Amino acid sequence: MNKDLEHKFISEFQEHQNIIHKVCRIYTYDQEAHNDLFQEITIQLWKAYPKFRGDSKLSTWMYRIGLNTAITLYRKSKRTIKTQDFDTVLHKIQATKYDNTEEEQLKLMYQAIHQLSDIDKGLIFLYLEDKNYKEISETLGISEVNARVKMNRIKTRLKTILNP
Amino acid sequence: MDELDLLKKDWKKQESSYPKLSYNEIYKMIHKKSSSIVKWIFIICIAEFLFWGIINLMLPEGFFDIYEKFHLKTFLTVSYVIHYIVVVGFIYIFYKNYKTIYVIDNTNLLMRKILKTRKIVNYYVYYNIGLYIILSLIFNFVMFSNSETLLDVMNPDHLEIDKEKIFTILLIAQIVAFVLMCGILWLYYRIIYGILLKKLNKNYKELENL
Repeated sequence: MNKDLEHKFISEFQEHQNIIHKVCRIYTYDQEAHNDLFQEITIQLWKAYPKFRGDSKLSTWMYRIGLNTAITLYRKSKRTIKTQDFDTVLHKIQATKYDNTEEEQLKLMYQAIHQLSDIDKGLIFLYLEDKNYKEISETLGISEVNARVKMNRIKTRLKTILNP
Repeated sequence: MDELDLLKKDWKKQESSYPKLSYNEIYKMIHKKSSSIVKWIFIICIAEFLFWGIINLMLPEGFFDIYEKFHLKTFLTVSYVIHYIVVVGFIYIFYKNYKTIYVIDNTNLLMRKILKTRKIVNYYVYYNIGLYIILSLIFNFVMFSNSETLLDVMNPDHLEIDKEKIFTILLIAQIVAFVLMCGILWLYYRIIYGILLKKLNKNYKELENL
């Protein structure tokens, strides 16, 4: 029974794992931290999985648990040995080619995002994932109005960083 | 083009560049131990329950003989029984709250539940400190108002000593012990919860202040 559940989870997780990589992309700066957070989110998802009834999509769950882990549960750890290693994470991401000005702008953008607070990172992440304000407010537990206000502030902030 | 649209476009473009973990890699991962903040809080809270429980149990047998001389033994036994009922109550409420912490809740609710669970253990510690202070005050009051018995207990061989001196030493020793204990507790909370809850408190405040 447990083995079946495990198998089902891993297969489904494999399919949607990009969501978790993207959460890690927003919240961490190096590969080691990326792997570490990825592992913690995966464990949290697996622990919550038996209660998953399929009345919502697994991907919706993954957004929530991913963000909750990054914002609330995760503590930076120095465990380098215990972490399950996997490579090829970041070098590919950074190798994407842009034309010069765009590349420069994007670099600044990503830098600016890394300076945001944990909550703001969550908002920008959900925005980049095309989530509407209803979903954003439900995920973070704030009102839709507040989500809008906060999002506008972040946008303004990012724009000022790019056009000082 | 709008910068944010540019960012969004790039974000989507990267979709294909993330690594794909194999079945085996994920399998290994879900069998690792979590190091989440909730787990740490749970472990530390249990340790605190045990610590205060054990401290009471570890008092030496002879410790109570002193109180018998002041006719405080019944009082002490009754307070112990009440104390353990309260402790069990605390553990029950703590566990009930702990069980409601659910990672699928929205971020705001999740943080509130964690902080609430944590708060219960704080109340437990306040309760213990409060109890310690109240019992100390009662015992001191009873002991010093029966100064003959106190002198008898402190000086069983009836050596020639200065009465005043012995009372002063006793009082100072108690004050020092009290201050020391408060200092250690303060340091403990600063360090343990300062480290553990800093991020959580900060993020919670940000959501609450919206």
